[in-house]
Amino acid sequence: MSNYFNTLPLREKLNQLGVCDFMDSAEFLDGVDALKGKKLVIVGCGAQGLNQGLNLRDSGLNIAYTLRKEAIEGKRDSWKNATENNFTVGTYEELIPEADVVINLTPDKQHTAVVNAIMPLMKQGATLLYSHGFNIVEEGMQIRKDITVIMVAPKCPGSEVRAEYVRGFGVPTLIAVHPENDPEGKGLVQAKAYCVGTGGHRAGVLKSSFVAEVKSDLMGEQTILCGLLQTGSILSFDKMVEKGIDAGYASKLVQYGVEVITEALKQGGITAMMDRLSNVAKIKAFEISEELKTIMRPLFQKHQDDIMSGEFSRTMMEDWAAGDKNLLAWRAATGETAFEKTPAGNVKIGEQEYFDNALLMVAFIRAGVELAFETMVEAGIKPESAYYESLHETPLIANTIARKKLFEMNRVISDTAEYGCYLFDHACKPLLADFMTRVDTDLIGKNFNEDKDGSVDNRALISVNEVIRSHEVEVIGAELRKAMTAMKSIKTA
Amino acid sequence: MSNPVVHITNINLKYHHKPVLQDLSWTIKRNENWLLRGASGSGKTTLAKAIAGLTKVQGTIEVNFDPKSELPAVALYVANWYQFKDLEGQSNFYYQQRYNKQATETTATVRAELEGYGVKHRLQFSEAERLVDALGFSDLLHSTLIQLSSGEHKKLQLVRALWFRPQLLIIDQPYNGLDKLSRQHLNHLLEEISANGTQLILISNETELPSSIQHFAEIKNGQISEMSNADYHHVADEHNGIAVPEFLNQAPLSSADSIIKMIDVNIRYDEKQVLKNISWEVKAGEKWLLQGHNGSGKSTLLSLITGDHPQAYANNFYLFGNKRGSGESIWDIKKRIGLISPELHWYFDPAATVRQSIISGFFDSSGLFREANYTQKTQADELISYFGLTEYQDSLMNQLPLGKQRLALLARTIIKNPELLILDEPCQGLDQHQTQYFNKLVDELCKNGTTLIYVGHFESQLPACIEKRILLENGTVKSVETILESV
Repeated sequence: MSNYFNTLPLREKLNQLGVCDFMDSAEFLDGVDALKGKKLVIVGCGAQGLNQGLNLRDSGLNIAYTLRKEAIEGKRDSWKNATENNFTVGTYEELIPEADVVINLTPDKQHTAVVNAIMPLMKQGATLLYSHGFNIVEEGMQIRKDITVIMVAPKCPGSEVRAEYVRGFGVPTLIAVHPENDPEGKGLVQAKAYCVGTGGHRAGVLKSSFVAEVKSDLMGEQTILCGLLQTGSILSFDKMVEKGIDAGYASKLVQYGVEVITEALKQGGITAMMDRLSNVAKIKAFEISEELKTIMRPLFQKHQDDIMSGEFSRTMMEDWAAGDKNLLAWRAATGETAFEKTPAGNVKIGEQEYFDNALLMVAFIRAGVELAFETMVEAGIKPESAYYESLHETPLIANTIARKKLFEMNRVISDTAEYGCYLFDHACKPLLADFMTRVDTDLIGKNFNEDKDGSVDNRALISVNEVIRSHEVEVIGAELRKAMTAMKSIKTA
Repeated sequence: MSNPVVHITNINLKYHHKPVLQDLSWTIKRNENWLLRGASGSGKTTLAKAIAGLTKVQGTIEVNFDPKSELPAVALYVANWYQFKDLEGQSNFYYQQRYNKQATETTATVRAELEGYGVKHRLQFSEAERLVDALGFSDLLHSTLIQLSSGEHKKLQLVRALWFRPQLLIIDQPYNGLDKLSRQHLNHLLEEISANGTQLILISNETELPSSIQHFAEIKNGQISEMSNADYHHVADEHNGIAVPEFLNQAPLSSADSIIKMIDVNIRYDEKQVLKNISWEVKAGEKWLLQGHNGSGKSTLLSLITGDHPQAYANNFYLFGNKRGSGESIWDIKKRIGLISPELHWYFDPAATVRQSIISGFFDSSGLFREANYTQKTQADELISYFGLTEYQDSLMNQLPLGKQRLALLARTIIKNPELLILDEPCQGLDQHQTQYFNKLVDELCKNGTTLIYVGHFESQLPACIEKRILLENGTVKSVETILESV
């Protein structure tokens, strides 16, 4: 198997990278009709598998689960998840041959083995559904030509997929059809119906391609979503401790700060996040984030280049072959950082204090979101896709840090994201070493507004506001957020 | 001894610039146990929280504890509404979560919760066990918090308070969600604790009270006044006189003669069987009362009907003439049902306004995620005015007193004039007048052919239209009967 993307001529590369259509709700008026009465078989019953299946069944569809023989005989958690909810469970041999749609919700690493096992069993003209395009695009898995290959990827953890569905809402979802495998032209209709079945159609659906999804997803998770959140959290914590701020306070300010700060991002983009600062603080945060963008831009570009060329997936698959040697070593090292090992102090931090005392974190987030977005768009990814994989997901990942710090973030995200996150983190820290020597507690740990009279130059403020508000991520973000109505707000810890 | 325990002088409180408490003064002497009542929104809860030092008001509140008492010098307030978090400190729950086994393991067990409380306050665990036993929920010690019904959560709150034994104990709505027998057990425990030196203030409309309650007070127009025992027990019949909105005064669209038909329905989690061989038929237009002790399986039975229980697919039953699991979606089912329950209320989107909450009834969602059309908005306006919620319509639900929240959710329940109304303790949190008023509205709606399933623990507070009763006991049908005289 060879990298699918690299086999394409440039025009087709650009063509597939450019598939991006934010779908109108009128496109979903047929509901689940295209899948009604069909047999849907889900491979794997973890958090995504179980919760998507519960939603699909509650939408009137016929769902069963297939697991490996060992999982069934050993009565593993996946078996329990499925049987305790009264789903039919069977082996590949029992269930795949009669399936109209096979839904592969196993981890990336297992895809090649799983698909090789199920493909010979699939009936003529069946559909294979993925929630991530890595196996098709990076590993170049070839699917039998009579089979339709589609992707439906809810952009939230499995538990949220369920919670939002039963509340009568849903989570934003990305769908795609693989152009090499759409022999009957039914791919898009089925993907839309699946989306209605999981409730995704109420919260905004983006039509993408396997290529665009993989190349933007890898970029987002490595740089802003996980990589920079990790780097920024560790550097901010270490700086505060170095400057004599109480470690418990520093730990809490970072752990919950990322969530509170990115909540403003979720509601109103970079503009709303920056507007939470006083005018003086906003100008300062703007200046620092501009500096951070200049320092980090080459690293963001390197990540995007390695993703596009296949270099990233090649080295990661080498690590898979080596038994996850690097991944496990980096995971252990993250667990040993002082930030990770210092529990949040028992001190009350007000909601506004998370902004005023953590100007550096705000600057990190603005710089990271804008850089990731800009770099993706420069590489040929459409702004809507770039928005989803940068700004949109940042608050979701920040929530995991608020729960149990970096351990929790790296547990929740995929191994692929985790690997890329460490790669970025290890390159980014040395790059910022000089910058960090110039940072003091006015930027992180103490209120920046203290001892300042708050006066600013009108024209300086107007021009800073102008730059922030007219950035393309803000323009596209305002439009997309309108579609995702009624986003729930979180409470302050 | 002459020093009063609680001495309140001239306290004032405003809500949205409107005075709620005005120069209110109240004195509670040692060994007096009080019952406090008032209309929804009269300021009872705020007053109670102020006495416990949980909220600030203008004016002075002195609480003088007895230095010689062995009991903790604490004024403990037990809220009308229970709260809990998951093991990660979050509380982003949804009401169907407790029926889904995988989603229940994220909260602590009742036992772990009580042990933690005992360690924190240095209490003997054997006493908690005695209280748990006395309130009849020992078999729930190993259940997780999310699995408890509202009545069981209330019991857990009560156990903690009775175990702690403060000098002053203020309980806001102690009887909510409790079955009749549990209310009697609670009264015994309250008599016991007051005999041992704890002074009580109960906030309730209940008429069967512990014998130690000898003082009655009412908050009205911002003032508090003591009333006689006889006055307390007399309920005037008041009516606001607004007619039921026309759009509700017509027969709901009905599609089937048999609304619900269950044949040997069973629900179990591991070894625990919650429903055993339930067979039950509800025909179109029938008005049922569903009764049973706390934990008898009422909520689980209802969750099957409302499309909220994942094990529905393993059982043999029919809804609106269609076999469950034959290709219908839960939204097809929900659109024919108007549902209110303590759990639906507890887990409802707190960030929705009253208006949004009411309109969400058209879409059966917990919070509003869609745009309503003109007719729907107009009908919402009519109900907002009918329920007296005009001045609160743009307030967030979580900033309103419980009674007002409940009225908004009742409006949500009936707004689409559904063919089946499921009212699971609909009047929790309402005062007596509101309860009477709502039950009369239910009678009006049911004249049009609506099918009704009503759950209520207070037999004196039921709609007159009820004609049949099904009684559950430990997950089985104890009896089914036709009620000839209205209850």
